[in-house]
Amino acid sequence: MKVVYDWLKEYVGDALPPVEKIDELLTFHAFEIDGIEEIQGQTVIDVKVLPDRSSDSLSHRGVAHEIAALMGVPLAHDPFREPVSLMPSTPKIQVTIHDQNACRRFGAALITGVRIKESPAWLRARLEALGQRSINNVVDATNYVMLALGQPLHAYDAEKFSHADGVWHFGVRMATTGESVTTLTKDAYELTERVQLIVDEASHAIAGIAGIKGGAYAEVDAQTTHIILEAANFDAAVTRRASQSLRLQTDASKRFENNISPELVPFALRDVVKLIIDIAGGVCEGFFDTYPTPHTHAPVYVAHTHITGLLGMLVDAETIEKIFTRLSCVYEKAPDGWNVTAPFERTDIQIPEDLIAEVGRVHGYARVASVMPEVVPLAEINARHYYSDRIRSLLVDAGFSEVITSSFRAKDAIKLANAFASDKGYLRSSLRKNIEEVLDRNMPFADLVGVSHVALFEIGTIFNPQKGEVRGIDETVSLAIGVRMKQQGYTPKDDVRLTEIAVLLEAALGEPLHAHIERGVLECSLTSLIARLPKPHVYASFVPGPQTTYKPFSQYPFMTRDIALWVPEEVSASGVEESIRAHAGDLLARITLFDTFTKEGRTSYAFRLVFQSYDRTLTDDETGGIMERVTDALLTQGYEVR
Amino acid sequence: MENIQKGHLHPISHMITEINSIFSEIGFVFAEGPEAETEHYNFDRLNVPADHSSRDMQDTFWFRKEDVAVPMVLRTHTSPVQARYMESHTPPIRIIVPGKVFRNEATDVTHEAQFYQLEGMYIDKGVHLGHLKGIVEYFFSKFFKGDVEVRFRPSYFPFVEPGVEVDMRLNSGNSKLVGRWVEVFGAGMIHPTVLRDSGIDPTVYSGFAFGMGLDRLGFMKYEFDDVRTLYTGDLRFVHQF
Repeated sequence: MKVVYDWLKEYVGDALPPVEKIDELLTFHAFEIDGIEEIQGQTVIDVKVLPDRSSDSLSHRGVAHEIAALMGVPLAHDPFREPVSLMPSTPKIQVTIHDQNACRRFGAALITGVRIKESPAWLRARLEALGQRSINNVVDATNYVMLALGQPLHAYDAEKFSHADGVWHFGVRMATTGESVTTLTKDAYELTERVQLIVDEASHAIAGIAGIKGGAYAEVDAQTTHIILEAANFDAAVTRRASQSLRLQTDASKRFENNISPELVPFALRDVVKLIIDIAGGVCEGFFDTYPTPHTHAPVYVAHTHITGLLGMLVDAETIEKIFTRLSCVYEKAPDGWNVTAPFERTDIQIPEDLIAEVGRVHGYARVASVMPEVVPLAEINARHYYSDRIRSLLVDAGFSEVITSSFRAKDAIKLANAFASDKGYLRSSLRKNIEEVLDRNMPFADLVGVSHVALFEIGTIFNPQKGEVRGIDETVSLAIGVRMKQQGYTPKDDVRLTEIAVLLEAALGEPLHAHIERGVLECSLTSLIARLPKPHVYASFVPGPQTTYKPFSQYPFMTRDIALWVPEEVSASGVEESIRAHAGDLLARITLFDTFTKEGRTSYAFRLVFQSYDRTLTDDETGGIMERVTDALLTQGYEVR
Repeated sequence: MENIQKGHLHPISHMITEINSIFSEIGFVFAEGPEAETEHYNFDRLNVPADHSSRDMQDTFWFRKEDVAVPMVLRTHTSPVQARYMESHTPPIRIIVPGKVFRNEATDVTHEAQFYQLEGMYIDKGVHLGHLKGIVEYFFSKFFKGDVEVRFRPSYFPFVEPGVEVDMRLNSGNSKLVGRWVEVFGAGMIHPTVLRDSGIDPTVYSGFAFGMGLDRLGFMKYEFDDVRTLYTGDLRFVHQF
């Protein structure tokens, strides 16, 4: 919710602190601040109102009240605490609510003789600072009051709405499948019984989608002279279902979904009528209000020990009572605690823990002192984790690296209902295909990562249809190991290596894997293997991992060059490697010694050099030049390059 | 063939093993639950009812109706294990739940459709926010090997009340993180409805729960630059660990 600093001032008064202080107060006691910016000479604060507070704080009055409460001052002007009456009432408006649980209140006002024109500069400036488009004075007024108080409003052109008998008859009912509506923004929507509508009862025309968006029907335009304003309250779940089914979320639906209080209706109607008469002229003929089941806010009992016990901080009774008062809550002392009635707009306060959270944040979580719980012995060992780690370490020791691949496949056994991306439409039924793909993908990088062949494994969940009568998902943990010896692809040697590894694992674990080996991939069920293994009693002692800082790898191709040389027997490989590095420069991405032998007092070393740049594709000439430099240097040292 | 060169563990495994060793020392059990989870455990039991705006906080992969007997999802968080563990155990309860979770959303350098979370939960008589602070300080000082300061800011998650956002600042060590506040995770005191629905009397017991992204922890510990790289099986990534 973006708020304009000067607008907050209208409620808080001169006590409103500078914007930096507001930032600090809200951040540590209420809401995150997403940004502060100057827009057309106005300071705009982007307050990330928490979902549970969207009922009262998606408004300037709400944010202002929050700031004042945190400062410990009352609001200079609080529209909700000033008396309100919807008088005179008019018999010219009638409303039929078909489901009083879905529409809890419906208020309206009739104004005649307005002049539609551009809004005054101050109003346009405020709306535009908040990123809202100015439309005309009447529509802007409804938006303005929503942003001020949090109550959505809508204006209808009274001349376009049936009133043959002098009475405007509104209906609120659920749609039926097959109906459709065109909204104010000229978008057409097909409706279902999940959507609640505002209708013209006489003509049966659909005038709007309740709580979400007005219809094109009875739209206010430049010729409009008489208007009817609507301020209603729609059920949160009903509005949410409709908004979801239409895939249409608006400023209005967001507020209804978060259960704004039906008590806002008269305040919003009062303010919007006053503002319209100020800026568009006209006369208010009267109000209408139906509110079949008035909202009651039962007091919540909270014990003093419950507050201190859950927060882990000592807060005395006087401080707690002051906090209640600052939040506009009314309290009565009760045995060992208080009965607290929250103000009507705070529909989120329903249980003692809600009040405890209020005390905690207002008093300040900085006051929570850290306490280390007593150390207790470990009650259970997780066999899946124990054996997975055991297998990981056996495989790593045998030269295999671990990968974690996607649980999704473009096509497989179990299809998901609503995958966002086409490559994630299904869940993997085995690890095999992923491992085959990863072998293919990594084989070209063997030189770059410095391995003679690719050897890797994954431990992960796989998903299959449940066998038997009952439908369901059979989820198991699988182990897959992959080997690729040759660049050109699978060779039977790969399976030989996998068979060796299977033997190694079976010997270490003392249990057959029941693995399936095929075309360079071994797969077995870890879930059933673990079920056959003895229960572990203690975790292996922890070996700290590497203190690595990840380095992004180059996206450009690399080039490989081999060099072999004769050196006197006493010259070490690392010494030679060092001089190669020194002369090869920064483009040398890796150097691997791949062959050594000694003959007649001389040693032969063969190195593989991998060159790669972070910002370009290297040319043959470039690497050729580097190799010449390296060769020259080695010759100068008296070595014989073969 | 030359001497066998050792392979490399995926950094997520390094982290999970280290986290388990840190928490098991103080009696936190490594718990787990299914990745294909029922709507009931993933949402309803965590005080996230159908048709409630709190469901907007997560984009969910749903299974097809014809494949399942009850509505099922790919779990959007590790939190359903809270309810599952509470049901099958009596307090005192201390668990961590490292595990894979899924979000049906567009991917970018910090978002992937699958990622790892770490859940933690502690329920006993008299557990309060101070214990949460104590545990968080203990964990991060071990994990980042330095002196750690922790602060809370108000937040909202449907399954806790009060809910807090936890920030941490590393005051020693040689990490890039030293000296600045970083938002690390969400936490709070377990909502009484969640306790009650799982058969634990909230007038007798209280508890805290926290949840954080392991990938995010990896960004802090190893300075990853793109979460998607973790799950491509690329050895140019894995071989660095």
